[in-house]
Amino acid sequence: MSASQSAVRSRAEAVKVSRTFDWLILFALFFIILGGYHVHFMLTGGDWDFWTDWKDRRLWVTVLPIVGITFPAAVQAVLWWRYRLPFGAIVSVLGLLFGEWVNRYFNFWGWTYFPVNFVFPSQFVPGAIVLDVVLLLTNSMIITAVIGGLAYGLLFYPGNWPVMAPLHIPVEYNGMMMTLADLQGYHYVRTGTPEYIRMVEKGTLRTFGKDVAPVSAFFSGFVSIIIYFLWHFFGKWFGSTAFTQAA
Amino acid sequence: MKIIKDKVTKLSFVALLITVTAAMFYAPTASAHGEKSQAAFMRMRTIHWYDLNWSKDTVPVNDTMTVTGKFHVFAGWPETVDKPEISFLNIGIPGPVFIRAGSWIGGQLVPRSVSLELGETYEFKVLLKARRPGDWHVHSMMNVKGGGPIIGPGKWVTITGSMSNFTNPITTLTGQTIDLETWNLGNTYFWHTFWYVFGIAYVAYWARKPMFIPRIIAVDAGKADSLITPLDKKVGLAFGVAAIGIVAATMVSTNEQYPVTTPLQAGLLRGMKPIELPAPTVSVKVEDATYRVPGRAMQMTLTITNNGDSSIRLGEFNTAGVRFLDAAVHVDETGYPDDLLAEEGLTVSDNSPLAPGQTRTINVTASDAAWEVYRLADLIYDPDSRFAGLLFFTDESGNRQMVTVDAPLIPSFS
Repeated sequence: MSASQSAVRSRAEAVKVSRTFDWLILFALFFIILGGYHVHFMLTGGDWDFWTDWKDRRLWVTVLPIVGITFPAAVQAVLWWRYRLPFGAIVSVLGLLFGEWVNRYFNFWGWTYFPVNFVFPSQFVPGAIVLDVVLLLTNSMIITAVIGGLAYGLLFYPGNWPVMAPLHIPVEYNGMMMTLADLQGYHYVRTGTPEYIRMVEKGTLRTFGKDVAPVSAFFSGFVSIIIYFLWHFFGKWFGSTAFTQAA
Repeated sequence: MKIIKDKVTKLSFVALLITVTAAMFYAPTASAHGEKSQAAFMRMRTIHWYDLNWSKDTVPVNDTMTVTGKFHVFAGWPETVDKPEISFLNIGIPGPVFIRAGSWIGGQLVPRSVSLELGETYEFKVLLKARRPGDWHVHSMMNVKGGGPIIGPGKWVTITGSMSNFTNPITTLTGQTIDLETWNLGNTYFWHTFWYVFGIAYVAYWARKPMFIPRIIAVDAGKADSLITPLDKKVGLAFGVAAIGIVAATMVSTNEQYPVTTPLQAGLLRGMKPIELPAPTVSVKVEDATYRVPGRAMQMTLTITNNGDSSIRLGEFNTAGVRFLDAAVHVDETGYPDDLLAEEGLTVSDNSPLAPGQTRTINVTASDAAWEVYRLADLIYDPDSRFAGLLFFTDESGNRQMVTVDAPLIPSFS
């Protein structure tokens, strides 16, 4: 067979090969995104995602969506503008969640024996679905950034609250009040993470009394809009074959 | 020649495989937590741990033990390390092999950071509950913000039993008793699985149709809009609305299920109560101090004045947790770790009882392999070559009195 000849001999065979490529690419894409996004998220979200006693109503709510909208925006740019596939965000967050669970289960629990109910990851699935759907419906990067980015920030806290609420039940411990999450942080010794490193409940947002989380979520959503633009362009600029050389 | 080369390559590869395989079977126990690699001046001039006691050498799973003692916050705290204004009483163990059931400074529970005063001495206690079987090195430890972990002496403790039997029952303020080891685990797995399946379902909708090759061909041909059908938009909209609806509904139902929740607690505890030590009746002036590198010995010339009403003798020099004792004066009966105890490591030129009102100049030598083993000799390479430690004098009644010393140290290489 010469180089100019087709590798397939019929339309049915072409469709079959095309589908095989679909699955191969999707499989590879999932793990490539997982690797990059996971490293990025560990470095930028870090402790806020590692431990339940870091998951507060101010900084956890603010920081994680901002650092978490990055890869979804970039992957969306590639998959939407080149393939019209509206699942860039959800594939990214599913990859991240899978990678984080592997990390938490095998490293944090299997290797160092921190209980899983103390080190489970946060999840971004509802926000990512909305991000993808807004792009699907509007075909607009700007509207996706503004509506989807804001929703990404807003949905994070309530999306994780069913898992976090049971750990915010108060407990009296030797004369002090703590939440169960605080107690987990105190009980399960982290030699390299002293209490003063824990960045929770810091800031000057005191005007809204106890209702801090919604304000933090709005702020997170606004910053997520900006980050979305930035990373969407990263996806557009670098999601290209210009950097490869044809044989 | 080629045959020889091939043989060498093959044998090298086999050797590499054998080495890698052998390495897999060699897994030595970690023997310490890096305290030896911490700069000597950090251990000698910051927190001085003494009168330490590990209540048990062997603990079954679910049983408790305590680490108790005192620590002196050195007044000559080095300029290169942040002051201990924000500190945390920690415990140096390899992960949560014990849980920290309680920790106290001066009788106050300290789950949070504390502010410590230079020159003060504090009593501490850490209550540990055994969780994971094994032999573990248990250290006292103080984290100082801007200074890092300042690790104290460690002792081997064995935990017996099975980790599967470990429980951590807690009664909440809402009256519910839970096991913190497994609490909320099923709920976490359920919601993460639910959302994962939800996300996969959305991807599956798109993956059931041709994805990459036909679509990029269509996009390149200017037919991108034809790839999204009205049904696709309806399905997408349904997923989006469902996601928002489920989040809202579960938020409401969760708040109904857990009506009482509080924010995470954080803060700094000030006003830690130090030990009220009586005013020292012994005054010590360091005339000079040298460290003799080949002999692994530190020599000090001290002028001691006894202002008390009972004669005294020098019994111990304690620095960085290493205890040099004059066996004629003081014998350790606390089970202090052997590697940190030089039972006859203190030699005093004249250690006869110093009567009240008398002054005497003596030569004191603290010698032991611990200087090298614990890398305290590296002090001579520090930017501020000073040594510091605690001297313990014993009076006729057996009472001990602590005096701190802090002076320049001159190395001697011959």
